[in-house]
Amino acid sequence: MASASSPLDTVVLTIAQSLSAVERTFYKLPGSAIIERYVRSSHQNDPGRTFLELIIFFLVVRTLLQSRTRADSNNAKNFIEFTEKEIDELVEDWVPEPLSRPLDDVEAAELAAVPVVAGPNGPHPTLVNTGKPAINLASLNFTGLANNEHIKQRALEAMRKYGVGSCGPTGFYGNFDVHIQCEKDIAEFLDTESAILYWQGFSTISSVIPAFCKRGDIIVVDRAVTLSIQKGMEISRSTIRWYDHNDLHSLEEVLQSVEKERRKRKGPLTRRFIITEGIFERDGTMTDLPKLIELKQKYKYRLILDESFSFGSVGRTGRGLTELYNVKASKVDMLVGSCAIGLCATGGFCAGSKNVVEHQRINAPAYVFSASMPPLLAVSASEGINVLRDTPSLLTRLQDNIRAARALLDQVECISIPSHRASPIIHIYLRNTTYTDNLLHPSSAASMPSSKPSNPTSPIPRDAPVFDIEREERLLQEVVEEAMAQGVMITKAKRVRGLEISEARPSIRLAMSSALSKSDTEKAVHVLVKILKRKFR
Amino acid sequence: MPRSSYPTSPMALNRGSSPTSSIFKKQKHSPSSPPTAASYLSALSQADARARNAQRGTPTSTPALSLSSSLTTSTEDTVLAEEDGGNSDGLAIPVGKPPNSEQLYTTVHTEFGHCYNEEYRHISQHPQGTPVPRHVEQDPPYYILFSTYISYLILIVLGHLRDFLGKRFRAQSYKHLTPHDGYAPLNSDFDSFYTRRLKKRMDECFLQPVTGVAGRTISLLDRYTPDCNQTQIILDTRTRALNVSSYNYLGFAQARGGCADAVEESMKRYGVTSCGSRLEGGSTDLHTLAESVVAKFVGMEAAVISSMGFATNSTFIPALVSKGCLIISDELNHSSIRFGARSSGAHVRMFKHNDMEALESLLREAISQGQPKTHRPWKKILLIVEGMYSMEGTMVDLPSVLMLKEKYKFYLFVDEAHSIGAIGPHGRGVCDYFGVDPRKVDVLMGTFTKSFGASGGYLSGNKALIDRLRIRGYSGAYTEAIAPPVLTQIIASMASIMSIIDDDGSAPGVIKLGLHPSSSSSTLHQVVDYPHPGPISQRALPHWLSLPLPLASGAEGLMRLRRLSFNSYYLHRGLDKLGFITYGHPSSPIVPLLLFNPAKMIMFHRMMKDRKTPIVIVVVAYPATPLVTSRVRFCVSASHTKEDIDSVLMACDEIGDVLDLKHGLSKGERWSIDEVCRRAVELVHIPDHEH
Repeated sequence: MASASSPLDTVVLTIAQSLSAVERTFYKLPGSAIIERYVRSSHQNDPGRTFLELIIFFLVVRTLLQSRTRADSNNAKNFIEFTEKEIDELVEDWVPEPLSRPLDDVEAAELAAVPVVAGPNGPHPTLVNTGKPAINLASLNFTGLANNEHIKQRALEAMRKYGVGSCGPTGFYGNFDVHIQCEKDIAEFLDTESAILYWQGFSTISSVIPAFCKRGDIIVVDRAVTLSIQKGMEISRSTIRWYDHNDLHSLEEVLQSVEKERRKRKGPLTRRFIITEGIFERDGTMTDLPKLIELKQKYKYRLILDESFSFGSVGRTGRGLTELYNVKASKVDMLVGSCAIGLCATGGFCAGSKNVVEHQRINAPAYVFSASMPPLLAVSASEGINVLRDTPSLLTRLQDNIRAARALLDQVECISIPSHRASPIIHIYLRNTTYTDNLLHPSSAASMPSSKPSNPTSPIPRDAPVFDIEREERLLQEVVEEAMAQGVMITKAKRVRGLEISEARPSIRLAMSSALSKSDTEKAVHVLVKILKRKFR
Repeated sequence: MPRSSYPTSPMALNRGSSPTSSIFKKQKHSPSSPPTAASYLSALSQADARARNAQRGTPTSTPALSLSSSLTTSTEDTVLAEEDGGNSDGLAIPVGKPPNSEQLYTTVHTEFGHCYNEEYRHISQHPQGTPVPRHVEQDPPYYILFSTYISYLILIVLGHLRDFLGKRFRAQSYKHLTPHDGYAPLNSDFDSFYTRRLKKRMDECFLQPVTGVAGRTISLLDRYTPDCNQTQIILDTRTRALNVSSYNYLGFAQARGGCADAVEESMKRYGVTSCGSRLEGGSTDLHTLAESVVAKFVGMEAAVISSMGFATNSTFIPALVSKGCLIISDELNHSSIRFGARSSGAHVRMFKHNDMEALESLLREAISQGQPKTHRPWKKILLIVEGMYSMEGTMVDLPSVLMLKEKYKFYLFVDEAHSIGAIGPHGRGVCDYFGVDPRKVDVLMGTFTKSFGASGGYLSGNKALIDRLRIRGYSGAYTEAIAPPVLTQIIASMASIMSIIDDDGSAPGVIKLGLHPSSSSSTLHQVVDYPHPGPISQRALPHWLSLPLPLASGAEGLMRLRRLSFNSYYLHRGLDKLGFITYGHPSSPIVPLLLFNPAKMIMFHRMMKDRKTPIVIVVVAYPATPLVTSRVRFCVSASHTKEDIDSVLMACDEIGDVLDLKHGLSKGERWSIDEVCRRAVELVHIPDHEH
């Protein structure tokens, strides 16, 4: 038999030999007896199990070998095999779009018309655009802290002690004593347990939201919230329900429907949040805080309140909505405000309980991954609080100016003002009677007021107001430029169209300031009123 | 240099009163050339004025210093920190070679170290024509990997056990993790497990409160915890420590000096804040001016500035690409890039860190396959890479990327957050380092935090693109504009690196490269000229900005660049020679030293801080790095002296032996610490490919 050495036999022999060699080495290994016993017994009891274990083993090996950076499209069904030559041709043929489109004439003109101040900004800056001094109704300087000599002096001293930059995130030696002090000052001022500073007003709430809201959580939010809130929600990937702008009845309906939904699904208890603004960036309307708190407590939601425009501008000493309505700030779970707007420094803060604040120190991306605020600006924020606390007259003057401006603007018929009477930002809409009546707008049927509630899953309300963005933007821009030529610095509310979840109505946004005298405010608003009256008679 | 002269040794304790110190004091009296003398006198009178303004009492200095003549006023002013006298930590008074008569102290030693030895300089530049060295990750011995995994396993098992028992027996302290009164817990115990059970144990390494300037040294507010890191109590005492952790590459974190004076002037003129967003009445002429200075600095047509570094990426990337576009991103890109990419709506693919073959095959696949499902061609492809990676210290292989760019027609976005100012013979970042025209890159992004001692970030490119970004990026319409003092710091520091020429074109003492009288040109690389934005005209700067001569002439800027490069190379190669495993490119100021075991992080941190000359360091671990490769990250700065790096190396050497960290070289190949310190210059000048 051995003499009939066909090639097949040699192969079989080699395999048998190598197999026995493998067996011998296996038995030499320490602990091999245990493995052998385990495999034998498991195979005896249940041969299917061996098979399953083998599959699992191969799956594990496959997962381990798979590259992390390789995306799914390779495995997908619609992957097309090309030869190298074909790929080269495809690469050759591919023509990418240009990285950016150059500005068209309208955009370029508008960019050129953006007011630029020569020298320090304040109530009476000199404009680069016109070369003349103007009355400033555009910059955000509600309580006039930007021109406060005392703050400037303290900031200067801080610069001589700390330099300018902080050179590191708070985690890594960027946690200066002045930051800790400023956080303490904010917490004391608002009477909350604790507070945390962020380095940019815009990034504050868009970082606070994803720190708490995760996939599967529920956010109930106003339909007209500002872009930073929208971005924060987008990153959080939570379930979002919308309620009609500043309509607490609508909020309650949405809260009820969410609760009903949960009962039906018998889902587990998830985190639930109400997110809204104190004074809305979009139109200057104000939230009814006591009612909101009542609802939040009734339905057991946590409240994230963005006070960017109300902190440092309403209330007796500028503590914001909580002071205005005499509500304890600790009832708001996460009170977000802006040091850039309210205190004329930079950055923002989130005040709340100790747990809430400490959680953000590890989980809020803009806090963790960014170098901390320049110490001199933290000092000016702290000093800003001191000034506000000691001089309530600043707020009184601001409110006087707002009243004076509103009194004049109320006489103009061609505009409508959605803003609250105490709001330091005043949005001016063009009254759209001039064209929607004549125009049979295709969606005008939908704009008929209806009694049915809006769909909470859609950011667009049932009876969305209809406006012609391009036309209104153009008309308002003409007003702005004319006012600037006459020595009044005003601005449209600037937006990036197509970026926000629903389009905001074009408006002129006036920002009142207590640094202006009442007569100057009246003079400036009067100029605007005259232009408006002449243009849209 | 004998070992006993290092600041950490007990001998160095009374350094200030030692005879050497008084000798170099006397040397300062020797006559010097007229221009230097004039500037010296003006520096003196300024220092006097400052001293009078500050109205300090007699400085608590060592006898040798107070015994000196009237000249010491300036010396004390520049040597000692304001609040804490004495030199028990060896940080307040310079050691090493005494300066000669032409060399002046213009900086505060605790902020920016005095180092006048011209040998301790190096030019950061890629040797033309050589391939870019690939990043090799060195693996530790298996027992280290094994014990690392075991450590994590023990931590995780113990943590879960404590959670399990704690929830049943100490319900009160777990209240925030369990549902109560109808509210779901604010953070689930699973999500916060890592934070509570792993990070909490090493909280002493994080959120350290500090005060003063984060320069060469930093003042720590001492703290202690009575209850295992649940609360931290801040004490009244302070510790001054050598700072190798702040991002202060060029040492511009200074409270005194030309830049700080410029900032003071601007604060008097412009105030502290700019009131509102750029498009809505928050723009001043200073913003426009700073943007043109930045554009000139990086060599692009135009630039736009945003008030926060993180937000520069997260708010401008969505303005560049949208749905139907593809972002190809390095797997180690910073969180802000991911944030921006995610909110842009574009499709995102990642490739293996710095692997050009992987990038090319990904590009071929992406272009040939087109968009998923529809197979339509991509509208555009944007490649986002970082100039220097903040956790690894590696540098992008820019020449190869540009070669691929020509073939595959993608757009290139380089995030220079860590590389701008830090590398390149002129400090202009990776393009400068590789001698590449910056305009070959479509978008150059960077921050001002790391090299310029300011804050915020910029994006630069051609004018049409930047104008589009001004109105499309939401920084312009929605976020506050950057504050004027910060802008001035940017302008002053950048101008001092560029050097300023007068309007008539004559340069006030522009110092050409390698023209230092005492610098030995043989040790410096040959400087290659390429079309590079030269000095900036006085007209392009604010009219009120007047920098002192060393800054305006560019001499100090050049000195900073070269000191930084020397320090980076020295620390990197010194650690290598001592036997440690390090990552990254030797010219990167970020030097990661691998620790692996999680427990070694706290030990390393504490042992460094408890030395006679305390050193503060940054430790990074999972999730910022892969689970096993926990590391120390040193950030060197131009403000460190050679002696500072010596003491860091010495500390590492001692601690490395105790903690068993030397796994890079076998015992025979290692150098002793004395040898490393002695042969530092030689070590630094070994060409990259031979090391």
